[in-house]
Amino acid sequence: MTQEEALRLVLRRLAALGRELGRPELETADATTRLFGENASLDSIGLVTLIADLEEDVRVAVGVTVNLADEKAMSRLTSPFRRADLLAAHLAELVRAARP
Amino acid sequence: MSILSRFAAYSDKPALIGVWGACTYGRLAGLVEEAGRALADLRLPGPAAVAVVGGHGPAAAAWLLALEATGHFAVPLSGNPAEHPARLAQVNAQWVVTADGLSWSLLPRIDEASAHPLFLRLKERGSAGLVLFTSGTSGRPKAMVQDFRRLLASYEGRHASRLPVLALLGFDHIGGLNTLFGCLASGSPLVVSASLTPSDVAAAIALHRVAVLPASPTFLNLLLVSGEAETRDLSSLRVITYGTEPMPESLLARLRAAFPRARFIQTFGTSETGITRAESPSQDSTFIRFDDPALEWKVVDDELWLRSRTQIDGYLDADNSRFTPDGWFRTGDRVELGPEGTLRVLGRMGELINVGGEKLMPAEVESVVLAVKGVRDCRVRGEPHALTGQTVVADVVAASSADQEALRAAVRNACRARLARHKVPTRVTFVPAVSGERLKKVR
Repeated sequence: MTQEEALRLVLRRLAALGRELGRPELETADATTRLFGENASLDSIGLVTLIADLEEDVRVAVGVTVNLADEKAMSRLTSPFRRADLLAAHLAELVRAARP
Repeated sequence: MSILSRFAAYSDKPALIGVWGACTYGRLAGLVEEAGRALADLRLPGPAAVAVVGGHGPAAAAWLLALEATGHFAVPLSGNPAEHPARLAQVNAQWVVTADGLSWSLLPRIDEASAHPLFLRLKERGSAGLVLFTSGTSGRPKAMVQDFRRLLASYEGRHASRLPVLALLGFDHIGGLNTLFGCLASGSPLVVSASLTPSDVAAAIALHRVAVLPASPTFLNLLLVSGEAETRDLSSLRVITYGTEPMPESLLARLRAAFPRARFIQTFGTSETGITRAESPSQDSTFIRFDDPALEWKVVDDELWLRSRTQIDGYLDADNSRFTPDGWFRTGDRVELGPEGTLRVLGRMGELINVGGEKLMPAEVESVVLAVKGVRDCRVRGEPHALTGQTVVADVVAASSADQEALRAAVRNACRARLARHKVPTRVTFVPAVSGERLKKVR
């Protein structure tokens, strides 16, 4: 999975979550959309929901199980959960590592 | 000296700081008097159950204190209003106060007084009651009644302090009330942030130079993940207390690196026995040692049992089997013993799910999920999560015609409408069948 493909997946999932939550601004999210932190789009439960949906998407689309919120992700200097593009990069990296 | 009588000495100092500005102890004392007059004007024949709906704020705090001073039963409620009607009915609340910042309104709800034996016992003792809710195995929350006068008296020995404290734990939660009463007894300012997001909390800490932050490990983790700890000046923090859920050692290490000047103190409490003084053998240790003359503890079959002077009188409408006849409370916390009288909480014995320190029982969520069209059956469980300690997962058996994507959204939206935020399943999985008997969908 390339970073671009991962970003498309993240944005599509954010848009779906936006429809579910009645938050239209999430439907027009882009690579620089802040996910968590100051001026961010999601609260903690929203972020955990997005992560769960993305993990499910990857399982269905690519057939691998990834854990986006593991201890390694937590201890990174820049959290992958702050911005859409950072999350996409993190996702692509995990998928690459999970596939032989 | 009672909390209220201390207010005169603190009169010009800020008591509660929030979107309403700074409410001094003098002003707060005035609000307590105002609430007391409103209660007197009702000419009630005896003690009444009065709900106080709101969050941390001057009017809400004043009403709790006024209800205690006049011997009534206070029922603080916060969070999703959809959960309130059932709780008001459970306690037979006669009056409802809605508090917002400095203002409040009082509305009647029912005429008859609550006649539950636990209320009558408090009345005979000439005391006042405090009612909080905890998750029940049946899915219905349990109303816990305690002697409010005895609880407030436990704060009377507090030393005076000027250190600003942040109100992070809920107004309807023993941890949040412990923060509130501890502050008011010591004359320190309680800072209430605009919301509980890491960003608003960090902004409030920086603006008001907050020194004491009582938090859950999950909140502290989210504060680091959000990046707020790097971009804001949080150097005023001197003491960070944590409790309500287990603290992973790796998280404690990251926190100590991020806040090198703060002292980390573990607290321990249950809604049933109150918050307990505890100490860790060292800053890096997640073990604790109870340091509280008002508390006895023992470990029975790996489960922690507690007996405290401030424990509840009982559940209003549920069986009291978690208390032994000689007053021990079975906490349901699975613990391991460490060296020199220390112990560490490993998790829960039963099904209880702990999301960032806020607890729920699966049945409560299952009853909402089962009512969703297209759901045949469901089981709800907790799953470990690096961001929130645990997260809620709903395993759903869908009707054959159901569109899974739409059903997933419908399940979560039904829960959002009817349950507190932390109870909403973040993951909805579709399974061919679920095991075990709990609730059955009635079709």
